[in-house]
Amino acid sequence: MLRITAFAASMGLMGTVAHADTLTFYTAGPGGLADALAEAFQAETGITVNVFQGTTGQVMARLEAEEANPQADVVVSASWGSAVDLHERGLLMEYLSPNAETVPDFLKHSHYVAQGISALAIAWNTQSDTPRPAEWTDLASEGYRDLVTMPDPAQSGSAFDLIAGLETAMGDTAWELLGALADNGMIVPGPNAAALNPVLQGAAAAVFGAVDYIAYSRAAAGESVEVIVPESGTVIAPRPMFILEATSNADAAKAFVDFVLSEAGQALVAETWMMPARTDVEGLRPGITDLNVIAVDEDAVLARRDEIIARFNETVTNR
Amino acid sequence: MTLVESPAMPRAQSLLTPLAAAALIMLVGLPVLFILLQAIFPDFARGSFEGAFSKLVVLTENDRLMTQARNTLLLAFSVLIGCLIFGLPIGILRGLFSVPGARVWDVVFLIPFLIPPFIAAIAWMMTLQPRGYLFQLVGFDMGRFLFSFTGVAFVMTLNLFPLVYFAVSRALEMVGGRFAAAARVHGARPLQAFFVITLPLSIPAIAASLLIVFAMSIEELGTPTALASRTGFEVLVTGIYTRLSDWPIDLSGAALGSVMLMAMVLAAFTLQNWIATRRSYISQTGKPADLEKADLGRWRWPVLGLFALVALIGVIIPLAAIAVTSLMSTISGGLRWSNFDLRHYEPIFRTGSRAWQALITSGWLAVLTAFATAAIGGLVAYIVVRGTGRGRAVMDGLSVLPNAIPAIVLAVGIILFWNSPYQPLSLYGTAAILLIAYIGILLPYPIRYAVARLRQISGSLDDAARVAGAGQMQALRHVTLPLMAPSLIAAMMLVFAIASRELVASIMLAPAGMRTVGTFVFAQFEQGSVQTGMAMSMVAITITSGILLAVNLWLARQGSSAFSG
Repeated sequence: MLRITAFAASMGLMGTVAHADTLTFYTAGPGGLADALAEAFQAETGITVNVFQGTTGQVMARLEAEEANPQADVVVSASWGSAVDLHERGLLMEYLSPNAETVPDFLKHSHYVAQGISALAIAWNTQSDTPRPAEWTDLASEGYRDLVTMPDPAQSGSAFDLIAGLETAMGDTAWELLGALADNGMIVPGPNAAALNPVLQGAAAAVFGAVDYIAYSRAAAGESVEVIVPESGTVIAPRPMFILEATSNADAAKAFVDFVLSEAGQALVAETWMMPARTDVEGLRPGITDLNVIAVDEDAVLARRDEIIARFNETVTNR
Repeated sequence: MTLVESPAMPRAQSLLTPLAAAALIMLVGLPVLFILLQAIFPDFARGSFEGAFSKLVVLTENDRLMTQARNTLLLAFSVLIGCLIFGLPIGILRGLFSVPGARVWDVVFLIPFLIPPFIAAIAWMMTLQPRGYLFQLVGFDMGRFLFSFTGVAFVMTLNLFPLVYFAVSRALEMVGGRFAAAARVHGARPLQAFFVITLPLSIPAIAASLLIVFAMSIEELGTPTALASRTGFEVLVTGIYTRLSDWPIDLSGAALGSVMLMAMVLAAFTLQNWIATRRSYISQTGKPADLEKADLGRWRWPVLGLFALVALIGVIIPLAAIAVTSLMSTISGGLRWSNFDLRHYEPIFRTGSRAWQALITSGWLAVLTAFATAAIGGLVAYIVVRGTGRGRAVMDGLSVLPNAIPAIVLAVGIILFWNSPYQPLSLYGTAAILLIAYIGILLPYPIRYAVARLRQISGSLDDAARVAGAGQMQALRHVTLPLMAPSLIAAMMLVFAIASRELVASIMLAPAGMRTVGTFVFAQFEQGSVQTGMAMSMVAITITSGILLAVNLWLARQGSSAFSG
């Protein structure tokens, strides 16, 4: 009998039939954040939030496959371009939260708004017996031979943005830098986590283009890793949050977006070591104004995506 | 399985066949059909039939795809050979000789199935890469070996060799020493008797297990993504995954890639079917068999040494790497006593935690999947081997399809079909859809195992029961089913093991708010801490192998009455 109760409890989470007091939330990481937001929101409003959490790719694949009969109400992706694209296809509902007032203009739009922001940086193992790097170009020097990893731009939207950003700031020199890194034995092991883990164990010394909040939180957990943002500039990866046009529960969805952008919601975002989207909420780490941010023309870059990835593969992966 | 005991029923098959066919079509056929439609009509998911075949042109111009296809085949054959090297000798020994601790070895060699492949790959990475555990212990690393074609094939072999071990040992157990003994009486030397009699009679089972190894290695995703991307070595499934997981999503391209995979597995299936049916492999004729296995004598210790060596490489090293990682306070702290603590287990054992919920959910899903696949699989196998209907070959082919499709693509097919606006059953978005996916993905195991087993059981046993007055259902229940039981139970344990940690379909299909062990571990690895992911893997592996050990011991106590050939 006890077993049956346990079974019912585990299966009890299955009821996601659109209900007035439930909301379905699809989100990219970080892991704990979605749960924390869902719990705090439920405590405040009594509305249950069912969370699906995956990588941006998994979230998007699911949205795509469900397009004939959408399930999600609110979505957070880690790729700004994905929101632009969904909006162009007319799938997003127009809503600008009143709480978005202090979100910088370039991070909000009539149909989507940033939940939080990460930046790209060098993650360096402080016990790696290598000199502390300060600039992107440092990692192409002899001291880091075979000791640098980089997330694959085909699998990590932020790594892609970094290449596009460096190209914007440096022109063709950016490609020369990537070629020099490849000559220096840089490896491209996969998405972000796959690039960071060898550095933690010491198999490599530094990540070229690590997602900063992941590295900050590992450092906070005691790992000997330091996040270094080059002064020459880096790119940021804002995480768009939006409501699907097909939502059957627009009021609850709006309330949820409001909550994520409230001071309490943004404080939860800050706890993950991301930069909060609101400028009046303090982050745990340097904010946008402390960084030299390279502005990237998203539309132009997105149109050249295949070309940039092909050139990256030519220059680095399949040399 | 609905076993209606009614002697009055004229032909049970006329009822069972449509039932089994309906199950296969719902579970596999329709999702695959929807994938094909998606491959042809790029906007099918949006409910539109426009632009038919517009994607095919793009694909045929892509010679990268051909490289991927070649790599896929190369890798699959290497893994096949690897599995024979690792699995065949110990399988033969286990089947023909009384190996000390046989049931314990069975559980030990189930463990590779309990370890999610991508976790195993990470464990090997953390062990062999520069400054990995091996280096920290003895001062050298094997990174060059691991991040190569051989390394990928090696790690994949370690995930899959138990399939060969179980199939071979069960088949040989059944063929037994009796036929070999007859050959010996006729003057054959022991080795001659083995190669002329015992081994050939076991061919259906060996071929069936190799087919599953082949199908699993071409659809395996975790190992190639973790290891092969470093060497620029791309296979079809990584290409499909890329199309499905990288923005922008290309559903049609992924569907087309999986059509290629399906074609490969169907070709392999045809070959295997030809090998298995061109002659008779019947070895179970109902004559009383001497179930005593040969004694190893002075070979006892060398044989135990071989088992231990395979277990060391295939089970103990990866398991130790997972355990050690889960106990490390920080990864960068390395292998120092002061760096070991239990803090990464703490979030798992908090009652009511999400990890706890994930364990319960996965446990029940795995149990239900094991029973459902055994029931449907046993029925399908029975019809495929004993049936007379024309559709039985089609049904056999249908049953191997899920193995041909990467789980992620079947998951997409399931979404397309079960979430279609025309679908009257609204199961999508509930836990039931996950169960349906698990059954569809894992159904091939019981079917392949039971088909191979049934080909060894003579139909005259059924006939004898019928002559003695039993109805067809009674003959099935009292004669054929008990004879099939050992392989069905072996398959159920396998299904339970794999379902308890299934990842890809879970990520795609788990309703929002529901977590399984696989998705929990994956989320930890992607966004949380590697150590918590490894800790969860350890907990799940311990619980699952404990359950499997208990079942095995219970079976041993039942003796040879019902469950041994």
